[in-house]
Amino acid sequence: MTANDLIEAYVADVARRLPRAQRNDVAFELRALLGEELQARAEGAGRDADPALATALLRDFGRPAEVAARYRPALTIVDPADGRAFLRATVIGLAIIWSLGLLVRLRQPIGSATDFLVALGAWWTGTVIPSLWWPGLLVVGFGVAAWTRRQWPRKADWTPRAEDRVDANRAALALGLAGIVCGVLVLLDPRWFLDLLLGGRAAPAMQEAFAYTDAFRRRQAPWLVGLILLNVPLLITVLAHGRWTVPLRRAHTALSLATCAVLTWIVLDGPMYAAPATDRTAKGAIVVLIALSVGSIVRQWIRSVRPSPGGPMRAAP
Amino acid sequence: MYRMGETEAYATLEHELRRGVVVLATLSQLRTPRYGYELRQALAERGLPIEEGTLYPLLRRLEAQGLLQSEWRIEEGPPRRYYALNADGGTLLRKLTASWRGLNDAMARLLGED
Repeated sequence: MTANDLIEAYVADVARRLPRAQRNDVAFELRALLGEELQARAEGAGRDADPALATALLRDFGRPAEVAARYRPALTIVDPADGRAFLRATVIGLAIIWSLGLLVRLRQPIGSATDFLVALGAWWTGTVIPSLWWPGLLVVGFGVAAWTRRQWPRKADWTPRAEDRVDANRAALALGLAGIVCGVLVLLDPRWFLDLLLGGRAAPAMQEAFAYTDAFRRRQAPWLVGLILLNVPLLITVLAHGRWTVPLRRAHTALSLATCAVLTWIVLDGPMYAAPATDRTAKGAIVVLIALSVGSIVRQWIRSVRPSPGGPMRAAP
Repeated sequence: MYRMGETEAYATLEHELRRGVVVLATLSQLRTPRYGYELRQALAERGLPIEEGTLYPLLRRLEAQGLLQSEWRIEEGPPRRYYALNADGGTLLRKLTASWRGLNDAMARLLGED
């Protein structure tokens, strides 16, 4: 190829990446400019404008995709500031999907190495490849968030996160206290609560469905009621202070962990309700509650910040 | 290893410094109409060479932002697209020049403290 052929090919490669409306005009200008640049280089080197000189010029100019991108405003889908959060969410989400998928496949009977390979193949085609919906969904979510921030910058102004707010939300605390009282009443005697709710018209079968086992009444119920009631003085203290102090936060976390431990004991021990269907449903709900509570505590621990110097401090001279 | 890191850091930071002034330098030379190659020569002669792959697309972007006007002209040689500041570009140049002078004075004071 001659030097001119190289420039023509390069210009075409850049121009076809541009919008049709500006493509030909940019190509016409770029070809003329590159021609002048090449001529100047050739005069500077004291030789003809040969293909080697043209190749060097075009390499210095840049990859056609990069050059074409420079002709247009930068397009950002995921904000650079969100890059790490995006990567973290992608990796954690895929790890969970892939692990759960692998567990499901490996729970099926595997009698030989071939069965294992078949299960792996099914995991690959049935879990790994379809799981690409997750990064796709994240791209859309982060993209919409970035677009919204650019459209309405004031709405992206920083405000303290709900979990970092120290001032007590009195209405929420009062609601929480009312919820605790109701919860304890329901826990003590669900049939009484049903009577109250239905005006004493609860069917006997329904009454039976919510009957506790004696073992539960004797073993876990006192612990559970006691732990729930301990929230009352805690929330009243927060109401009185008007804010969540560090010791109050720690007490709340300790109480949540202890409650989770008792709930786990309930799930693993014998039946809680005499009716098997009610017992299964209640334990399913308790498992979800434990998962949410532990997840929230773990998240708080991961996000915790305790400002302290990273090295020894020296007194000023 | 350390020296390599030091060189890379210098190259990156120096590139960032230069990138910050490319737009102002370009606008400053477009008070009279110029075409791409001529503009690059003018900047290089005044001590600020800008890579062609950066400068030529920049002219189109500035025009798309409504800061430059351009037209094709046939004078000596091939047809050339000439760029010049429009009213908005002129206003922006004055504002950026004032900012640059303020920064320059501040930096001179800061660096003169050594």
